[in-house]
Amino acid sequence: MAVTREWSGHDVAAAVEAAVPGAVAKADAVACFLKPEHLVEAMQALRTGPETDFVHLTNLCGVDYWDHFEVVYHIQSFVRNQICTVKVECWDRETPVVPSVVPVWHGAWMQECEAYDLFGIRFEGHPNLHRILLWDGFPGWPLRKDFLSMPGGLQPGLNEFAGTARREAPPVRPVE
Amino acid sequence: MTDTIKSEPFVLNIGPQHPSTHGVFRIKATVDGEKVIDAEMVMGYLHRSMEKLAEERTYVQNIPFTDRTDYLSSMSNNLGYCLAVEKLAGIDVPDRGNAIRVIMAEFQRLASHCMAVGAFTNDTGAWQTPVMWCFREREKILDLFEMTCGARLTCNYMRIGGVAFDLPASFVPAARKLVQTLPGFIDEMESLLVANEIFIVRTRGVGVLTPEMATNASLSGPMLRGSGIAWDLRKADSYCGYDKYDFEIPIGYRGDSYDRFLVRLEEMRQSVKIIKQALDGLPGGPHSTQVPLALRPPKGEAYARVEGPRGELGYYVVSDEGPSPHRFHIRPPSFINLSALKEMTVGGSVADAIVVLGSIDIVVGEIDR
Repeated sequence: MAVTREWSGHDVAAAVEAAVPGAVAKADAVACFLKPEHLVEAMQALRTGPETDFVHLTNLCGVDYWDHFEVVYHIQSFVRNQICTVKVECWDRETPVVPSVVPVWHGAWMQECEAYDLFGIRFEGHPNLHRILLWDGFPGWPLRKDFLSMPGGLQPGLNEFAGTARREAPPVRPVE
Repeated sequence: MTDTIKSEPFVLNIGPQHPSTHGVFRIKATVDGEKVIDAEMVMGYLHRSMEKLAEERTYVQNIPFTDRTDYLSSMSNNLGYCLAVEKLAGIDVPDRGNAIRVIMAEFQRLASHCMAVGAFTNDTGAWQTPVMWCFREREKILDLFEMTCGARLTCNYMRIGGVAFDLPASFVPAARKLVQTLPGFIDEMESLLVANEIFIVRTRGVGVLTPEMATNASLSGPMLRGSGIAWDLRKADSYCGYDKYDFEIPIGYRGDSYDRFLVRLEEMRQSVKIIKQALDGLPGGPHSTQVPLALRPPKGEAYARVEGPRGELGYYVVSDEGPSPHRFHIRPPSFINLSALKEMTVGGSVADAIVVLGSIDIVVGEIDR
């Protein structure tokens, strides 16, 4: 029975550290967190390394954790049948910027556009970052947690949202 | 003579309201004469922000949303989402539930590929006859779905921990009867199209993708296998007990539209083979485990994927121990398969662009979500 091997974050961190020293911010059981300044270099190393061989960027998405954003990359290898999770944290909520991985995987092109469209995360170095699903000039970034709640919050009219029916932060803040 | 005729590039709008775009999808093609020199995709006409809606609803309430992303393969979408939540919450599925899931997912692949093959022949100019033949067979599969869960397109049949209800008594005989007739239909389609000269001229060498390009552009499913990479999640990561079934991974070796078509035809045969084995070995026992309706998975995240008809269909679910997911992300195969559209269409003619789009087999409900 063939099962895809899921690398733990610590394994990925060890592989990245061997190729690009100082690129790992932290690691847990699920994911390896990379430093944004070394992201492209470390991803390139993961893609081309013979042990890692993560040639296929499967999934790229943003997640909002109220006080920071994460960009999640799921990358996999066909030959070695393995997948791993790499993340980048972005603590600047006003102007979140993360380097683009389009130079490493062309498949990141549209997924980064989508993350920009829905979270407002700028991917620096992306060749053509634009709003891909929503129209230019859409107010706000809908998948952010502080964007208004949907039920009853949306008023007729395309260009404005009535009131300030914004979500409140959760009672328990995430522990860092 | 030819160098005295001047042509200027101009923008040709393909879609959004056009039968060949398979939905509300638009290509802004810059053409020089008949040759496409640039192609820009415009999408989002069907955007319903399901990922945001899902954050307001419980885990079980989200299952009907997954029907409505890829409305041509709702069973596969249900399955992908349920697998992600099961992985997150650590829920096991009984053997019968897994076998029913496999049967339904494979029937869904057959129905979806019928649609893909039929619409693709429509795009190449075989106007309406093959697509109606495919629809005829697809209807029979949808009848089986209707018999099981009451719905034909938006099935909402899978549940977290299994399936919604057991198969009706008349399902297995009807399914057996159908899988006896389906290979004949596939052979018939093949005999009409595979050696058809017009069809070959229209598709052979159109939209060629090398394996390197296909990998780098994150393609999956028949797009990837058409380029010669034997990657199928049913084999590689055998969820739902797919390792118990004997089947092959068909691959193409030229990476053009014709090979992708052949891969889909052969996958239909393999699906029939899997369904036959699953019906023969259908275990008894419960079809589902009891899962609380207000499910609160432990804090964490899970990424589960299935081999949908269009490729890798992934669901990324993040839980904060609440009754609804903190983040719900769909990895839509047809959205990401469009990454290589520009590379495939530029340099060809406008008519080839339509063929390439048909060979990708997009579903706009899934692209825009």
